[in-house]
Amino acid sequence: MQLESPYIPVLTTIKSIVRENEVNDIKTFEFVFNDEENYKKFDYVAGQFAELSVFGVGECPIGIASSPTEKGSIKFTVKKAGEVTAALHNLEVGDIVGIRGPLGNGWPVEEMKGKNLVIIGGGFAFSTLRSLTIFASHEDNRKNYGDLTVIYGNRESGEVLYRDILEEWEKRDDINVVLTIDREQEGWTRKVGFVAPIVKEVSPSPEKAVAIVCGPPIMIKTTQDVLKELKFSDEQILLSLEMRMKCGIGKCGRCNVGNKFVCLDGPVFSQAELNKLPKEY
Amino acid sequence: MMQKMISKEKISDLIKELQKEFKVFGPVKEEGVVLFKEITDAKEICLDYSNSKIPAKSVLFPMIDTLFSYKKEGKGVKIIENPPYEKTVIFGIRPCDSMVFSLFKNFFSFGKYKDPLVLNRLKNITIIGMGCLEPRTTCFCTSVNGGPFNKESVDVLITEFKDNYYLESITDKGEALIKKIKSLTDADKGDLAKIEKLQKDIESAIPVIEGLDGIYTKLDGLFDHPMWKMESQGCIGCGSCTYLCPTCHCFDVLDENKQDGSGRRIRIWDTCQFPLFTLETSGHNPRTTKLPRVRQRIFHKFNYYPKNYNIIGCVGCGRCIINCPVSSDIRNIFISVENISSKTEG
Repeated sequence: MQLESPYIPVLTTIKSIVRENEVNDIKTFEFVFNDEENYKKFDYVAGQFAELSVFGVGECPIGIASSPTEKGSIKFTVKKAGEVTAALHNLEVGDIVGIRGPLGNGWPVEEMKGKNLVIIGGGFAFSTLRSLTIFASHEDNRKNYGDLTVIYGNRESGEVLYRDILEEWEKRDDINVVLTIDREQEGWTRKVGFVAPIVKEVSPSPEKAVAIVCGPPIMIKTTQDVLKELKFSDEQILLSLEMRMKCGIGKCGRCNVGNKFVCLDGPVFSQAELNKLPKEY
Repeated sequence: MMQKMISKEKISDLIKELQKEFKVFGPVKEEGVVLFKEITDAKEICLDYSNSKIPAKSVLFPMIDTLFSYKKEGKGVKIIENPPYEKTVIFGIRPCDSMVFSLFKNFFSFGKYKDPLVLNRLKNITIIGMGCLEPRTTCFCTSVNGGPFNKESVDVLITEFKDNYYLESITDKGEALIKKIKSLTDADKGDLAKIEKLQKDIESAIPVIEGLDGIYTKLDGLFDHPMWKMESQGCIGCGSCTYLCPTCHCFDVLDENKQDGSGRRIRIWDTCQFPLFTLETSGHNPRTTKLPRVRQRIFHKFNYYPKNYNIIGCVGCGRCIINCPVSSDIRNIFISVENISSKTEG
């Protein structure tokens, strides 16, 4: 018997495309599986990723932006940066895209039950945090988690992703949403300042808490320092790493940090786990 | 175990018999370079060689390998899977290179995801290895659990003796195969003891690098050691050491298109010695200079491999030493590691 190939994507069709920022280099694509059976097999948790294929151009790994609680389709937010993402941006509703996944470990939603979640994101790295927040705040799951704090920063107001859903969260009294941009801007009524000082201002308690941090390297670095000041231990800080990837299944050999593969053992690691690995990421 | 023999001049008969049932891959000399190719004419085979320039892993893990094919029709896409792999014999592979087949079996079946290309081939491949009568000065197979007549990863082992080739079946698969071949005769019992002695003499003449089996734990504390600056200084980043390494398996993935909308997704050999290997689209690169790249190659084979799969990712063939344009010698790195760790222990 031939083994099933993990390199062969399943086919999906683009159902909708949402332009996410003013510059128009970030779009959210919604895909429906051409074969319903493949959708049933695509059993994912927030924080996992998948390889998106534009046939004839190639594949690229993208974090899943939708939550498993959003049924019927899956969503990916893609910044136009390389060849495959540029090709994706040229596609239209009704076009075919291949998907391999879900891949990677994802956020530890089971282990985090009973904890207060402090979700901290910067820029377009917010996509898997969108997934996590929707999942944790869903009526079936909300009771499993304590306080839910979302701190989300951007350079400017035009870069803020997922406006509709952020506004929904702001209206709820069981999510504390803190939005910030780097500099004052006309019409902006929320916080102003970098993410790290805003985290300090919000000052979440480390008691029974987990901090989930996703963003550009400098934001991660400064936020880690603040979280340490706030007495979060390294076990309580979760990060999602990015590395150049090809296969996504631990075979092509390029996304290793020490003996761990980001695609297979990650992308989610606790700060404590990363402390044991070489600083090569 | 079954012992058979054939005179050297009749080797074509043996190949022809194998070709009736199998695709046969063997060493062929092309423009002065020995490499493993499918043998179409039994006369092509070149058995007078020390080791092939390009390792025989290319049969199991080709330089360009189709993951699947596709055909675009209007908005639709059709995916076409690979045809099943044919029964294959690899003839004349050196025992060091054949170790790679068990190494790859281990790696490509490890964990949640199995690599169907390598594993399906492995199931269909029979390995007829050829013992190494003249190990090169750069060989160190005996220091990494191998040997010039190592039987561990072959189905049949051939030893050249006087005017004959002696074939010894190692596995059941090997025995079933040589039983069927009519051009073989029973081995001359009088020679067998002499052959065994010859094998032992050749094996014991290969210098052993002390402490290589324990290198994995020694490397653990040396990631940030200044030694890597020295060891990487001469490197020009050409990647020869990795492209010609029988255990290297890192690959890139590309789409290759034809004009008519059809194409295939391929994987091709890649190397950790190039900056592009880890360059992210954002511009960030976790290994920007040759120091971390040289260190990655050593750690991958001698630390990460043993840690993850419980095997050393090196077979001691010496290709990286022979083919390095700046004469960098991996054995010097072993010596440095040994010296540094014995100093810190003392």
